[in-house]
Amino acid sequence: MVIDADTLRHMSEASVSVELETEDMTLNIGPQHPSTHGVLRLVARVDGERVYDVKPVIGYMHRGYEKLSEVRTYPQITALLNRIDWVSGYANEIPFMVAAEKLMELEVPDRAQYIRLILTEMARISSHMVFMASYPLELGAATPLFFALRERERLLDLLESVTGGRFHPNFNRIGGVKPAYGSGSTTRKWIQDLPAGFFEETTQAMVRIREAVDQLEDLVAGNEIILARTKGIGVLPPEVGAAFGVSGPNLRASGVKFDLRRAENYLPYDKFDFEIPTGANGDCWDRWKVRLDEIRQSCLIIEQAVAGIPSGPLQAKVPKVIKVPAGETYVRAENPKGEMGYYLVSDGGGGPYRLKIRSASFSNISILPWALEGVLVPDIIAIMGSLDFVLGDVDR
Amino acid sequence: MPEVVLDLFSNFWVALLGKVLLVALMIPLIGMVIGFAEMKLSAKMQNRVGPYFAGGRWGWAQLIADGVKFFQKEDLIPADADRPVFKTAPIWVLVGTVALFVVIPFGPGLIFRDLSVGVFYALAISSISTIGVLMAGWSSANKYSLMGGLRAAGQLIAYELPLVLAVIGSVILAGTMSMSGIVEAQIEAGYPYVIFQFVGFGIFMIAALAELTRIPFDMPIAESELVMGYLTEYSGFRFLFFFLAEFANMFTMSAIAVTLFLGGYWLPGLSEDQLVYLGPIILIAKVFVLVFAMIWFRWTFPRFREDQLQTLAWKWLIPLALVNIMVTAALKVLL
Amino acid sequence: MTSSPSETEAGQAEGVDQAEEVEQADHPLQGFADEVAEAVGGTAEITFDTVKIKVSAGDWVKAHQTARDQLDLVFFSFLSAIDWAKEVEVGDPLKDEDFEERIEMLTTVSDLSAGMRVTFSADLPTEKPVIDSLVGVYAGADWHEREAAEMFGIDFSGHPNLAALYLPDAFEGNPLRKSFPLLSREVKPWPGKVDVEGMPEDQSSEQSDEPSTENPEA
Repeated sequence: MVIDADTLRHMSEASVSVELETEDMTLNIGPQHPSTHGVLRLVARVDGERVYDVKPVIGYMHRGYEKLSEVRTYPQITALLNRIDWVSGYANEIPFMVAAEKLMELEVPDRAQYIRLILTEMARISSHMVFMASYPLELGAATPLFFALRERERLLDLLESVTGGRFHPNFNRIGGVKPAYGSGSTTRKWIQDLPAGFFEETTQAMVRIREAVDQLEDLVAGNEIILARTKGIGVLPPEVGAAFGVSGPNLRASGVKFDLRRAENYLPYDKFDFEIPTGANGDCWDRWKVRLDEIRQSCLIIEQAVAGIPSGPLQAKVPKVIKVPAGETYVRAENPKGEMGYYLVSDGGGGPYRLKIRSASFSNISILPWALEGVLVPDIIAIMGSLDFVLGDVDR
Repeated sequence: MPEVVLDLFSNFWVALLGKVLLVALMIPLIGMVIGFAEMKLSAKMQNRVGPYFAGGRWGWAQLIADGVKFFQKEDLIPADADRPVFKTAPIWVLVGTVALFVVIPFGPGLIFRDLSVGVFYALAISSISTIGVLMAGWSSANKYSLMGGLRAAGQLIAYELPLVLAVIGSVILAGTMSMSGIVEAQIEAGYPYVIFQFVGFGIFMIAALAELTRIPFDMPIAESELVMGYLTEYSGFRFLFFFLAEFANMFTMSAIAVTLFLGGYWLPGLSEDQLVYLGPIILIAKVFVLVFAMIWFRWTFPRFREDQLQTLAWKWLIPLALVNIMVTAALKVLL
Repeated sequence: MTSSPSETEAGQAEGVDQAEEVEQADHPLQGFADEVAEAVGGTAEITFDTVKIKVSAGDWVKAHQTARDQLDLVFFSFLSAIDWAKEVEVGDPLKDEDFEERIEMLTTVSDLSAGMRVTFSADLPTEKPVIDSLVGVYAGADWHEREAAEMFGIDFSGHPNLAALYLPDAFEGNPLRKSFPLLSREVKPWPGKVDVEGMPEDQSSEQSDEPSTENPEA
């Protein structure tokens, strides 16, 4: 830039005038970024610290599950489905199982339903613990990560002892849960149920998790800086949330007392006594608080389920080659991230004709262009983190 | 004993060389010790063990290993970067830190150079690091670094003011700007100045954390947002310079705080002769208490947002510091 | 598939399959289904506890507006489509040959109090499917319509930005159409419907045994 009389005059005028000619900058946040929960790319137009607009670019993890489901048999699809939202692996399989069982008009035994419920609630606690760990980390506090993940390990160990997998259990079968045959048995006469000591360890784990949740609440909720970073940030009015399809704790934080565990009957939640926590304002702080309270409620549900589990078979009688009669239905469930549903269209064959996967995070992050307009750059991280999405869930 | 040592180094150039070598030795050593302390303390707070394998059981050689690792890395400079600026930025940051060592009194007479304007010099020269940070952010040819640099510009310049204003209270009480003079004034008064200057001490520590861009003020780095802010494109030994500079700067800022507020190398009840030997140890012990507090804050708090940070500086710390100065001056005149 | 007759709740074995709609008012959702059908002007059907309302493509936006304003179905769940085709590249063709080749649009909306939900469906021609966009009614339809557009080739008139969502820019074709092949099946063709092999020692083809209730946790 040539410094001459004209430029100097312009510069001095610029310092006096109010409107300064500036160029805004296009900043690519992602796809590789510490805070985008996976390969999400946000093309943000920023002016200094102020964001003009944000365009999310997704599809980096698109694996084509819906097309793949058309060429898989029903038992094979379960292996695909728990990789959608890998943080809460078990919960993804449930609505699909219920849909297939509905079309086959199967009655799932009670014990299997209770086991499904216990493992789903463990998946919920597990997912919310990951949120408790990663959200303060994005705001800069590194220590809650260790407290939360340490407790999550207990649940993952329990899950592994039952299903054999920490993240991808593959434990559901059409008609119930997997009746594991005792190791080394070739006659298949003796069915091994849950491992010995499972219920005691679960109860102990619940005690430890409640303690950890109290610890996290002390550490995070009493912190002035976290309150300053999250209170009043990213307020989501419930009408806007509902129009976009935002569901789960995100919508409940805006004051909508709606939980699919009560509204739909895919698992026997009506036998248990638990509350639905809601928030008052719908800001980032409320979304954090709702998830914290949900962990407590899930602990309560698991304790009640463990105390009252009936005995019985683990799977209804199903033929060896599963064929689901023709029909279509939509089953939705309260996943930790929100509403997860499967629209299953069957033509009577061994695999679905069409499986539409309604994933929670896809709708949750469609709100980002609306929510991130006009905020500061650090608020992008705070708001994105509070929506708690996983890219596998977004991209399927 | 000190006389014998001084005789040996009576030649000016030998003495200068000795002092330079001593400082050159101390900076990496202090950097490594504080870095190791940070690793172990943060591990303790997070229910982990920290470095365990390097060099025997306690992992004490971890930072030595890290230093060697950094040195043998490839020297990467981004293609679009402004090469001279990119290369000299770490040097500026380190210069600001090293130059501060000159005026820290380790004991009575144990100071590299007793300047009569020691406080003024210390605060002025620590601002050179700011230039280094801005150079790093601008020259990296990376939008994240540029944003980090912008944030750093705002933050570091904003927090210079509370830093400077906070120490004026101590200077007024002591009546001199020489660092060893202030310690001697505290010895003479019989109490460390923090007792009356607690406001100044608090403001100084907060501003020092902001000058160091440590959490809760690490917006310029903001690991979870800007990858590493102005440090994103630095690797290898250039990054090591920044790294060491941060830890050494923790030491020097704490040392200034100890000198101006906590009585420096003095503990009540010790004679001058004893202070010659025990002084450095006492100073380092006090410094480590403050460094421990800094490490503790880092792993407990999240980071402020940029505008909240600026609000804190301009609307709270500066007026508070000004009020502190007025009250101190008034009381000094009246009493 | 032919529209299945109204099903009763599981347990009621009296339902003889009939092609026409018979008033079997035993289903608890029947009243709600009729109310919705009347309000939007479509035909109601209950398939396995899902209320499905068929409307014409021209009434698409109006039906959703009515649902949102009058019936309080404010929550937008999803929007997608089904490609009913006679020739399929992947998988088996449909057993029942007697159906109409079309693209069936689906949306599901629900309310936020009692959890009542409705699935709207409309039929579009397979060659050039065009339908009005729902972004004016439900803001969340934006991304769902972009996905349906790139996956099925549906044109949503009135959509502000029908760019590709998942697929890279250079991608050609509509993957979820039945005429679009699956690359791995190009290499190894579809082996047929039974993809499951038995265990090595298991020679008999009996069903799974009666499980013994002897378990450690009983």
